Amino acid sequence: MFKKIGIFLCLTTVISIATAADPLIVNIQSMLEKPAVLCGRFDQTKNLIGMKKPLASHGRFCVVKGQGIIWRTLQPFPNTLRLTRDEIVNYQGDRVAMRLDAKQEPTVRMINSVLFSLMAGDLGQLHDLFDIEGNEKSTSWQVNLTARQPALAKAIGTISLEGGAYVKTINMNEASGDHTTIVFSGIQTGKSAMLPEEKALF
Amino acid sequence: MMSFNIGHKKVALLWALVVCLLLGHNVYLWMVKRIVPDTDIMALLPVQKRDPVLQQSFAHMVDAAQQRIVVLIGAKEWVDAKRAADVYRDVLAAKPALFTGTQSTDQLQNDWLSTFQEHRLILLTSEQENQLRTQPQQFWADSALRNLYSPFAGPKLGAWRDDPFGLFAGWMQERAQETPVRPRDGYLFVADAETHYVLLPLTLSQSVFSMHVQQAVMNVLNEAQATVHQAVPHAEIIAAGVLLHAAAAGEQARGELLTIGLGSLLGIILLMWATFHSLKPILLILLSITIGCLGSLSLCWILFDRIHLLTLVFGASLIGVAQDYGIYFLCNRLSADVQLSSEALLKRLLPSLLLTLLAAVIGYMALAFTPFPGLRSMAVFSALGLIFAWLTVVCWFPMLIKGGTLKSGKFGRVYGNTLVHWPRVQLNKIVLIGGIVMAAFGIVRLEVNDDIRLLQNPPQQLISDQIKLSKLLDAPTPVQFYLVRGATEEIVLEREEALKKRLDGLIAQQKISGYQALSNWVPSAQTQRARRLLSEQRLLNEGGALAQVAKQIEEDADWVADTRMHLLNSEKIFTVDTFLKTPSSEPWRHLWLGKTQEGSYASIVALRGLSNKNLTLVKQAGDGMDGIQWVDKVDEISSVLGLYRQYMGWVVMCSYLVVFGLLFSRYRRDTWRVLAPTAIASIITLALLGWTNQPLQLFHVLALMLLLGIGVDYGIFMQEKVSESGSDGSIPGDRMAERASESLEEMNKSSIGNSQEIPNLNSVSSGGITPHPTLLRLGRKCAGKGARPNELSTAWLAIGLSAASTLLSFGLLGLSKTPALQAFGLTMLIGIALVWLVVPFFRKEI
Repeated sequence: MFKKIGIFLCLTTVISIATAADPLIVNIQSMLEKPAVLCGRFDQTKNLIGMKKPLASHGRFCVVKGQGIIWRTLQPFPNTLRLTRDEIVNYQGDRVAMRLDAKQEPTVRMINSVLFSLMAGDLGQLHDLFDIEGNEKSTSWQVNLTARQPALAKAIGTISLEGGAYVKTINMNEASGDHTTIVFSGIQTGKSAMLPEEKALF
Repeated sequence: MMSFNIGHKKVALLWALVVCLLLGHNVYLWMVKRIVPDTDIMALLPVQKRDPVLQQSFAHMVDAAQQRIVVLIGAKEWVDAKRAADVYRDVLAAKPALFTGTQSTDQLQNDWLSTFQEHRLILLTSEQENQLRTQPQQFWADSALRNLYSPFAGPKLGAWRDDPFGLFAGWMQERAQETPVRPRDGYLFVADAETHYVLLPLTLSQSVFSMHVQQAVMNVLNEAQATVHQAVPHAEIIAAGVLLHAAAAGEQARGELLTIGLGSLLGIILLMWATFHSLKPILLILLSITIGCLGSLSLCWILFDRIHLLTLVFGASLIGVAQDYGIYFLCNRLSADVQLSSEALLKRLLPSLLLTLLAAVIGYMALAFTPFPGLRSMAVFSALGLIFAWLTVVCWFPMLIKGGTLKSGKFGRVYGNTLVHWPRVQLNKIVLIGGIVMAAFGIVRLEVNDDIRLLQNPPQQLISDQIKLSKLLDAPTPVQFYLVRGATEEIVLEREEALKKRLDGLIAQQKISGYQALSNWVPSAQTQRARRLLSEQRLLNEGGALAQVAKQIEEDADWVADTRMHLLNSEKIFTVDTFLKTPSSEPWRHLWLGKTQEGSYASIVALRGLSNKNLTLVKQAGDGMDGIQWVDKVDEISSVLGLYRQYMGWVVMCSYLVVFGLLFSRYRRDTWRVLAPTAIASIITLALLGWTNQPLQLFHVLALMLLLGIGVDYGIFMQEKVSESGSDGSIPGDRMAERASESLEEMNKSSIGNSQEIPNLNSVSSGGITPHPTLLRLGRKCAGKGARPNELSTAWLAIGLSAASTLLSFGLLGLSKTPALQAFGLTMLIGIALVWLVVPFFRKEI
């Protein structure tokens, strides 16, 4: 699903209206912690069209301010993804299965910044691309994101985020019928949150 | 004499009628029709006639680019770039008539994808195709699983099962990478390491070669730039487009037209004033020049229906040549007997006047033999101008100026006296050998240069903007590409694919960065079938990668069968027509020529990231392939320039023979004396070019041609025997001497009454009641040998005046920033100066 944002940034025109100082966004922003390093476990469930069973996978992730994202799928197929400012690299074991850099694909920077905002719950940034509606309670919040640009909206469908001090769940309903849920847990912050093999990736 | 006078009156009246017509036509052209000179530099270049398809392909590429202006507005921060772009766009929006609107691409994108999705199975990159042949099934199974489990493993379009192996997404990604421009927040975005740019493609709604449009557009662009810099001071603005070049060239040419035109006019007026100390001769010369210019403008417009601005710039140097006839007549009027009627004087001068005109027209007409429409119109313009100025002198001057109305100034006398300082050359071995050695030394050092940049020299700012822009946009050049031909569409596509295989090698070696071709989007039917088969065998069939994936995710055989059927949905062949009908094909349509005039099909393969140093390598890539042709407009023009440099070299030499023949009928054994100064000047000019390491180019040679036409005039002036009534030069010596001394006496008599107007510039000017003894002695001496010194100094004065003004006008042309005109002007400048300097050595024996 995230992939769709990427490709549609490449191919479509996205209309942006100035960021509004929406009280909802302001309140959620104030609720969110913004640590320099944020790591944890993810559980991803995909319901794909044409498949009877949902596909489950899990692994670890790290969001490092100013550096990027590491997404390590551990089960059932080990696979590591590293997103930095200028590059997306996919490792299968030690082998680089795919590499996309900003020189080749100028939208890499934009894709990575959107993904970073999604993982960090940075609604202020996301507001450029999405219409945001939702609700907040004292310690938790929930928002639905709809892409402002019709073609992008049609392609990626809707995204919803739930969280408190951190983003807890990402739900994506694609127009194609594929559906993905990612749940984050065991969140740790600070330098010690990263495992040595994760540190080695930056 | 009476009948001649009456005849002359009729001629003068007739000419007045012609001049009135010219005036009327010019008034009509400028005031009613409001004609504007052409500024299209391409209009000056030869048209490729031999191969219409080649020409069509070129027009296709250029037309697509011509009407466009691309503006990049950049800033360190994307927000600032957007803000600057908005300001820029707002200024432009105030002038909606100049630009055609660009359509929104929103809705477009969806239809876009659906057309391709139908054919996704055959849309593969060449790398993917290779991998399908070589990689094990495990590779594909892994790839599908990666797409399945990882949230952002790469670009993805549609549901997973629409593209489980990510092949279609990979192909789409490769297509997107044909340009670095991306939509972003409703803007077109491109970036380098430091700066974010908004790209504003502007399409002009009117011809870029209209000067009004150029002016209007440049004004708006400048205003927009100024407004942006007020709003966002650090914004960077880069603009490129044919219009900017045309406007710069136009502005430059207009400036030069003014400098050359006014400069030479002013120079002539000053020279004439110094010589004659009266307004009348100046007005007469200006009259002949004006009629010359008006006449050539009228006729050129009638002949070509257009006039190029550079023709006018070149034509401005005409001023320096067209006055020769008037000056020659006036100088002779000054020195001739007051009693001698102007009509009779003209009759005597007519043969030499006619010869000088013929020689100059021959010089100009040689330019007309080139295939360059620009040169042709310059030649015709100049030749016509000369003819009109000449006719004005012949038809009107005798009526307008009578004997005794002209006085010579001190300047003329001082200058006339300088002639005696020149030794007279006899043809001898030392001179000959010395000259040849000197010339050969310089000429062997000559190198040649036929670069197309000779024709245009845009301002540095435009060039650097252009370079930066093409680097950022990585766009292919419209003047160098492969032309692919074949009997059917399918053959064209297959040939494109074969060519692309070879080009892939060059991309791998980083000699080029990529190519644009229609077969990137629509593979040939042959390839489509092969790819379909390959996908079925390697991925979808029993035991393929799909079955392996099913095993891993615990799906059954039904799922495999379903997914296989889903992917094999369409068996239709994707055709060029289908593609061209989609709105998304718009940026690529210019690559497809379709059915051509010859009945075959043709297309263009354009190359990105092409640099001059890799040109030969790229050119060779198509060697030995059927229906593949490398097209290089730059090279073609350069080779035409080179070809015509050689060809015109021969024409110059032949023209010397023709002119020699022409002159021989009049000057017989002295013909060599007429031609020698020009020939020597030409050779020394060539040698000087060699010594100063100036590479020889077509425009030097063309100038030598014109030098022949003008230089011969001076040779003729120097050889002419004005006081002689016969025009055939074959009068027996004694009769000639008798006649000469008669007229000398007549002249001396008249000078008794008119002591202030002694026409003999060489004699002491303070003539008294009695004829000066020296003068008489000299006169007798000259009469005995056939020419008188005052005639020579008359000729010398005429030569001096015309050479000085020609020097001035071509010297000013030498200041032109167009390298071709500059070379032309400098050659003329050096050549004419040399002829002037050399011609007295070859004067007639006294």
